[in-house]
Amino acid sequence: MKAAIRVEKLSVSFAGKHVIRHLSLEIASGGPTFLVGRSGSGKTTLLRALNRLNECLPGCATSGQVELRLGEQWVDAYAATTNVENLRRRVGMVFQSPNVLPLSILRNIEMPLKVALSLPADEAEARAEQALREVHLWDEVKDRLSQAASTLSGGQQQRLCLARTLALRPQILLLDEPTASLDFKAAQRIEDLLLELKSRYTLLVVSHSLGQARRIAESLFVLHDGERIEALSKDVFQDRDALFSVMDELI
Amino acid sequence: MAARLLYCAAAVSALAVLAILAFLVYFSLPLFQGDQLAALFSWHWRPLQNEFGILPMIAASLALAVSSMLVAYPLALGVCCFAHGLGPDWAARPLLVAVRLMSSVPTVVYGLVAAFSLVPLIRGASSGSGLCWLAALLTLAVLALPTIVLLLDNQFQRLESEIRLTAAALGLTRVQEMLQLTLPLSSRGLVMAAILGFGRALGDTLVPLMLAGNAPQPPLSLLDPMRTLTAHIALVVATDSQSAAYNSLFACGLILFLLTVLVNLGLRRIRTGATAHG
Repeated sequence: MKAAIRVEKLSVSFAGKHVIRHLSLEIASGGPTFLVGRSGSGKTTLLRALNRLNECLPGCATSGQVELRLGEQWVDAYAATTNVENLRRRVGMVFQSPNVLPLSILRNIEMPLKVALSLPADEAEARAEQALREVHLWDEVKDRLSQAASTLSGGQQQRLCLARTLALRPQILLLDEPTASLDFKAAQRIEDLLLELKSRYTLLVVSHSLGQARRIAESLFVLHDGERIEALSKDVFQDRDALFSVMDELI
Repeated sequence: MAARLLYCAAAVSALAVLAILAFLVYFSLPLFQGDQLAALFSWHWRPLQNEFGILPMIAASLALAVSSMLVAYPLALGVCCFAHGLGPDWAARPLLVAVRLMSSVPTVVYGLVAAFSLVPLIRGASSGSGLCWLAALLTLAVLALPTIVLLLDNQFQRLESEIRLTAAALGLTRVQEMLQLTLPLSSRGLVMAAILGFGRALGDTLVPLMLAGNAPQPPLSLLDPMRTLTAHIALVVATDSQSAAYNSLFACGLILFLLTVLVNLGLRRIRTGATAHG
């Protein structure tokens, strides 16, 4: 499997305090690749370092190298010539809590398409419908597209966020505990969706659920205190007992 | 217990406003009867000839408040947009600190500085004394600016904490975020800032008293002196306490009170309409 993300000696600090230090890893295209670890081990920071989202937070300093395969080209995420907005569109992100914008359901998807990609209205609408179908939300919302996105249930909102990201046609999808705030059934739908999406996108998922990782991960990394990262082979993390004993050892 | 205390505080506040209104209505009621009313709503303030027209003062108050807001509001909006993404980060913080500092400067200091800097400038450029609508307008705009900026800044900060990461993750630039999300979603805060800024400009006494020239005449030119309702009340109270001129002040107070209430109600109506159609 060819690589999609290469991280070399990445360090990220906030107000001088290191969250990630000298971290290197390589992530294969496709996936899903799961990233697990204790709370505070730097999983989210690592994820946000890939699309330079940490820069939106105060006091952040990043060093090292992050290279992403976008199309057939390798892009250095932190190069001075890299357009950060374009990078973030191509390396999409779904957050832990559904972060719908205080707009209508349709506007949540259409607005970034019209504004960031300058798509004409009809094309944006067609893409919105396609993305909503892709996440199996279209039938549930097609008659209420102009209603506020906040009127949807938590699971529906999370699928809307996924659709909004997919509509921008990213090449890499970063998912930060996408099922953490959802009930069992809604989480199951997101898991099914990830399995559907893995053939078209490189998926990197931060998760707290080892069960979920066992069910759907193709590869798995364990992050320890922002400094040490271990790749587990598939036969280890798919064997429940082996996984738990390794996790005990690692974290 | 806490809820009861809050109810009491709310009731006392509401009663205080109602009591002020009742007081003003009670004392100005005799003026609204018979010939007095025509004398009150005339364009001539000549107390020695028993003419107590307050129309020039009403017109001056409105003209000054509106014109100073026309200068201050776009400026304040520009400052906020600059500090929230349109300008470089290194300039944003000092700019907001400076504006906060401006809000703590006493009004009389603004008046004094303008009297010794702005007024001579206007005097030099025109034929009058320099104490005029323009001098009061510009000073009042500077005075109202921090009120508007701080309100908008507060609103923008609250909204940005919700949408900043999402907007960035979707590939929106700071300018796009400001134009497409922050500003449209801040409509309530924008209206509230306008209400409070207008109220601040309408109610200010010292700046028009010190800089507007205080001539009781209709505001026809920016370089003409004018007398606002607030300055009028201050001037008459300081020199008189018995005559019919003194009694007309209650009408001035009542009109000032009603103007503020009307502005509040009007803008709230606009806001409700915007929500209903939005």
